[in-house]
Amino acid sequence: MNVQKPMQDTSALPETHFVNGMMLNKDLTARPAMIDNCDTMPKLFALRCKNNGQRTAHREKDFGIWKAYSWADFWAATSQIGAALKSLGLNRGEVVSILSEDNKEWAYFDLGIQGIGGICSGVYTTDSAAQLAYLLQDSESVFLIVENDEQLDKFLKIRDQVPLVKKVIVLDPEGLHDIDDAQIIFLDQFYEIGRDALKQQADLFENAIMRGAAEDTAMLIYTSGTTGKPKGAMITNENVMAATACGSVALPHLSTDEQLCFLPLGHVFERGTSISGSIAASTIVNFAESPETVFDNLREVSPHIFAAVPRVWEKIYSAVIILAKEATPLGQWAFKCAIKVGMAKAELIYASKPIGLWLRAKYVFWDALVLRNLRIMLGLDRIRRAVSGAAPVSPELLKWYLAIGVPIREGYGMTENTAVCSVNTPDATRLGSVGKASAGTQARISDAGEIQTNGLTTFAGYWKNPQKTAETFTADGWLKTGDLGVIDKDGFLTVTGRIKDIIITSGGKNITPAELESELKFSHYIADAVVIGDGRKYLTALIMIDQENVEKFAQEQKIPFSDFASLCQAELVTNLVGVEIERVNQNFARVEQIKKFKLIDILLTAEDDELTATMKLKRGFVEKKFSNLIDEMYT
Amino acid sequence: MSEPLLKIRNVESYYGPIMAIRGVSLDVHAGQIVTVLGANGAGKTTLMKTISGVMDPEKGQIIYDGHEIQGLDPYKIVNHGIVHVPEGREVFPLLSVNDNLTLGAYTRNDAAEVELDREMVFTYFPVLKARRNQEAGFLSGGEQQMLAIGRALMARPKIMLLDEPSLGLSPILVQEIFGILKRLNSEQNVTMILVEQNAMIALNLADIGYVMEIGRIVMSGTAQRLLQSEDIQNFYLGIKAEGAREERRWKQKKTWR
Repeated sequence: MNVQKPMQDTSALPETHFVNGMMLNKDLTARPAMIDNCDTMPKLFALRCKNNGQRTAHREKDFGIWKAYSWADFWAATSQIGAALKSLGLNRGEVVSILSEDNKEWAYFDLGIQGIGGICSGVYTTDSAAQLAYLLQDSESVFLIVENDEQLDKFLKIRDQVPLVKKVIVLDPEGLHDIDDAQIIFLDQFYEIGRDALKQQADLFENAIMRGAAEDTAMLIYTSGTTGKPKGAMITNENVMAATACGSVALPHLSTDEQLCFLPLGHVFERGTSISGSIAASTIVNFAESPETVFDNLREVSPHIFAAVPRVWEKIYSAVIILAKEATPLGQWAFKCAIKVGMAKAELIYASKPIGLWLRAKYVFWDALVLRNLRIMLGLDRIRRAVSGAAPVSPELLKWYLAIGVPIREGYGMTENTAVCSVNTPDATRLGSVGKASAGTQARISDAGEIQTNGLTTFAGYWKNPQKTAETFTADGWLKTGDLGVIDKDGFLTVTGRIKDIIITSGGKNITPAELESELKFSHYIADAVVIGDGRKYLTALIMIDQENVEKFAQEQKIPFSDFASLCQAELVTNLVGVEIERVNQNFARVEQIKKFKLIDILLTAEDDELTATMKLKRGFVEKKFSNLIDEMYT
Repeated sequence: MSEPLLKIRNVESYYGPIMAIRGVSLDVHAGQIVTVLGANGAGKTTLMKTISGVMDPEKGQIIYDGHEIQGLDPYKIVNHGIVHVPEGREVFPLLSVNDNLTLGAYTRNDAAEVELDREMVFTYFPVLKARRNQEAGFLSGGEQQMLAIGRALMARPKIMLLDEPSLGLSPILVQEIFGILKRLNSEQNVTMILVEQNAMIALNLADIGYVMEIGRIVMSGTAQRLLQSEDIQNFYLGIKAEGAREERRWKQKKTWR
């Protein structure tokens, strides 16, 4: 698909070397992109299953108890899925969609589909029936995997709009026992079909895996589409292998690692961390029970690898701050001292200055007394590879985490480059930047200030959408990210915002709202913010308050409120947010300051159009939905 | 609108270490019927007990007619004109109907007026008059509920706190009792706070409704508005949105809009 990439002679394989327990190409831009001589993820998966056998591959809770599943189990389930799909009529290059929360079956199906030569496409469980219809139609899916009755109902509602879907496979039959529908198969029956097919031809799945080629599309990842319809990004086997290899060099997974999987697997960030990264390094993946129990699961697992979006890091931070407020006076004092010493150390680390002996001694003392316990309580005491990605994170927050002994690596990437562009590593970290371009990836800034990337991780194009594909590439075949940024003299990349989000005030001033917004979000009273002012005289902001923390504040200040709307209307709450805005305004020039703001007085949920699956406000939808609030600020 | 007769401000109450209501604020205007809806364990009964003084709030104020009454002894609150009709009726089973009513007027010392009120109770609940000398324990559930309401009326309340008056009663009796409550509200000008699980009947009677969930108010508004809310219809009124299948096990997430 991507003809811009120069093809190299593949008869001579590139030179390899061992990095963190795997054999990688020395030159990560060389083709074929390989890990341990495998050029597709299913091939590598087959190899890992063979070698790891009865070792634990992942765990999942069953009636409240963590249960372990081995690599042999992983292989058995996956090969049955592949065989069953084949005998039900899946052809190579056809799409299968998965509509489920994270669970082990998600991983089984992902590899089963890819192994048999299909293309796997994830659908968010928060998507509506209409969105599901669009995604199935656009991807021309021939099979659909649904988690349970709730998700099945979405399909039943729109089944006449998706005639291409042959069968729907239901993972959890609870509440569906009396359903009698030839199009619907339950997981047990489905495995049975797979076992029968394997009885006929035992090496059916392995043969199919061996037929996989680097340039085949492995998965479709639909981009959230804040404007217009979502587009399906085609990620090839080569993209997956290159991204995994790049990751293994920059921030490796190790075979001794435990990790927690909780962000949607349909998203490139979690897919890369919990499926590709985990298989390549043979880590143990623990699937969180549900999005609501992530913090409990984190405590139980105490993972070495935890990759999260800023919202999650912010939540943990504010939970600690609230807890500290409720501690005994002695506890509060100790916490304050410990954070102070930690912050002093963090400042020096970020400034790359040596840490004095006295400070070191103090840190050891407070770490043993307070910080270590804090980490244990959060489930971050074993953390080795903490990553923040998918959205900008406040530098202040990163500093705070470093202070408590949890160094978070901020990275940058997008679906279109398989989430690999740049990342801060233990050796090269700069606060506020998203790190240096990862090995195997090149980044440059265009004349217009846009970040452009190049590498084997660059996707093959949008599914059945050559026009949008063409718009995404430069004349010389680099990927246009749509993000604005700068690269400093040492090679550190800083992202400043989205090109299409740029606000030009009626005074002609160009403003990237993301800078203001990420500072605002650091306040633990503000969950998210949208800065407005395109073509207007001054800047304003719509603020989504953090319900839990503001309720707590209202309670302490004896502000009467009943429901969420009345909380947002309380004068003292408005003042509270006003103070936060004032604080942020001080860091900006006068024309860049927020003059007025309004609170969004509806409690938004992930099902709402205004929020992404990772609980970010979508600018376009917010501006439309709350246009009356915006107009009020300009009259 | 005039100043509310009863203002509850950020009240928190605990059962030992467990916070049962976590910051509740609500207004009750004179002459209104205000209903508080919620599932089991939402904190509705705790709220009632906190208003009537059976429980003391840890934080917050209850302002009745300009006076702070939180934490006062229950009998003083009765003297202020707030009477609690507890959940499960709690009549004195071994005393006669008459004596139960007399006890309701325990805090009063205007004997002649008390007798007039007793007659008033009997006009609303004729069945009590017929059984005035029977022991209350021998009354039917519905009659006991009537007696509990009658006993509360004997204190000449300004505000009556009714905790699940429909509990364990047949639908026809519930209709009857709610009809009487409506009359008491309009004819005797008794302001009411009504805690109910039976949302349909409560919202039909009330002017204003609040919905509680795990110790907090999640929604408030006129009874009309609440009746039309999708969440209320789904979770309290048993009206199901049209689904793709007959039997549906899952429920939509509540948004309380």
